[in-house]
Amino acid sequence: MIDQLGNGLLLGIIISVASVALSLLYSVTRIVNFAHGEIIALGAIMTLFFSNPVDSRVIYLDRFSPLGLDFVISAFLAVILCGVFGGLLELILFRPLRKAEVGNIAILVVTIGLSIFIRHLYLIFATGRVQNFPLELERRVTYLFFDMTPRNFRVLIAGIIVMVLIGLLLTFTRIGKAMRAVRDSGELASISGINSDNIILITWISSSMLAGLAGIFQGVINDIRYNMGFLILLLVFAGTVLGGIGTSFGAMVGGLLIGIFVQVSVAFPFMEGHIEAKNAVALGLMIVILLFRPQGIFGQKERIS
Amino acid sequence: MNNPILECNGIAAGYVKGLNILQGVDLVVSEGEIVSIIGPNGAGKSTLLKAIMGLINISAGRFFIEGLEKTNLPTHKIVNEGVGYVPQVQNVFPSLTIEENLEMGSWSLGKNAKQSINELYQEFPLLEERRKEKAGNLSGGQRQILALARALVTSPKLLLLDEPSAGLSPLAIDDVFKTIKNINLKGVSILLVEQNAKRALKFSNRGYVLDQGRNAYQGTGTDLLDDPRVVDLYLGKL
Ligand SMILES: Nc1ncnc2c1ncn2[C@@H]1O[C@H](COP(=O)(O)OP(=O)(O)OP(=O)(O)O)[C@@H](O)[C@H]1O
Ligand SMILES: [Mg+2]
Repeated sequence: MIDQLGNGLLLGIIISVASVALSLLYSVTRIVNFAHGEIIALGAIMTLFFSNPVDSRVIYLDRFSPLGLDFVISAFLAVILCGVFGGLLELILFRPLRKAEVGNIAILVVTIGLSIFIRHLYLIFATGRVQNFPLELERRVTYLFFDMTPRNFRVLIAGIIVMVLIGLLLTFTRIGKAMRAVRDSGELASISGINSDNIILITWISSSMLAGLAGIFQGVINDIRYNMGFLILLLVFAGTVLGGIGTSFGAMVGGLLIGIFVQVSVAFPFMEGHIEAKNAVALGLMIVILLFRPQGIFGQKERIS
Repeated sequence: MNNPILECNGIAAGYVKGLNILQGVDLVVSEGEIVSIIGPNGAGKSTLLKAIMGLINISAGRFFIEGLEKTNLPTHKIVNEGVGYVPQVQNVFPSLTIEENLEMGSWSLGKNAKQSINELYQEFPLLEERRKEKAGNLSGGQRQILALARALVTSPKLLLLDEPSAGLSPLAIDDVFKTIKNINLKGVSILLVEQNAKRALKFSNRGYVLDQGRNAYQGTGTDLLDDPRVVDLYLGKL
């Protein structure tokens, strides 16, 4: 079981970063974004596109021949591109929908449509093949109780640092406070002189950058597929709900727990030969926890006044 | 009379296109005045304040702040014109601390925010004492004071208040009215919407009676209080 803890932490950090991103967007805009998975995949696919060696022709159609940039630079560019993509989604799609006062359920359906649409664009342009980043294979090393490759260990550390940073930004910076203010009431934020539209745009950009980063982590730890974001999205939702909808700290912890539940459950005796059912244990546990704490682990009951 | 700070001419506005709640409201607030708006539930009092703040669209008529037209400006820009607004409901950020609430109120001040907040603390020592506490944990009266302070931190010229005494104990109501009077004595003009019509009219320089989206009567506070039509219609039952 301990063997699986390392894998659990790695899956957990992917889910955790993606959950924080999802939760941030939800809490500020009230949008349940089913296209979140596609932004996760965009991070990995763009990194692959930038970093793959120039002579490899397998991935993209010939005219999209890869660039062969350094991996870290590629990842950096991909994260920025994800931010731009998220910003464009807000400007072109979600802001006009909001101004037209389209209801939350309709917007949710729009994100589902968007998710399917983008995922199939990936299928066309990035093919259905399972890919890997052009990185050397590494041997596992033991860190305290768990083994993982040095690269994956660095991913874990990077994920933790990113989340601490997010926490600090949300708590102490002007923009972070304004995001929390818009979460409480967009109208009151405007009345206070804040341009809520700008804050929502910044939220879309940051959420998409985080999602892209989660996708890059997923690509490093596992592999890259056109539907990788869609495959992990359910676990990301589970992490968000488990931690308490709308709390960033809750999403971090909830995401990590879901990752650990999923991987550790592989080691349960009754799971032998049923590894493909590992998500079931994690989601079952989530349901049990929610029965006892409906608002999620760190969520607060709405105070009615 | 002093210069008008707010002048509304024939304002029509509503929440849904083609369905105006306000059907031509005229109103003036002059520098240094306290003006109150009274009227039955659903008359459109809150709607008028929202229309001025740019929260809903004004479909006809216009309004001026210090002589300049500001009809349908985005909300955050109206605030920058020196207008503070305390809505009837949801007037503090419950999950933010008191200090963060004031920081949000002073958003447009940028670097000078800290100083304005410190000045405000001297007037409202209670808020300084509890500055690290979440606004959601305040009592109704304290919350109203915080809501006033949040609107005041930018030193507005005009303050729009929507039922600041609603749901408070008599003691807390006294406190809120005293605070409003103090604010006014510092030179801030005040447009006050009140359920507590008698008290509001006694307290104000002038008043307007709004009924079904139109001005029905207007006059000085005491005139309206003595006007039998107003008493019959709106004050009798109070
Ligand atoms: N958000 C809204 N959407 C649609 N209609 C609304 C909305 N808010 C208020 N109304 C309608 O506008 C009319 C005027 O409401 P408004 O809140 O301005 O009344 P009021 O004079 O402030 O009343 P009260 O004394 O009860 O606060 C009412 O008929 C109300 O139903
Ligand atoms: Mg009202």
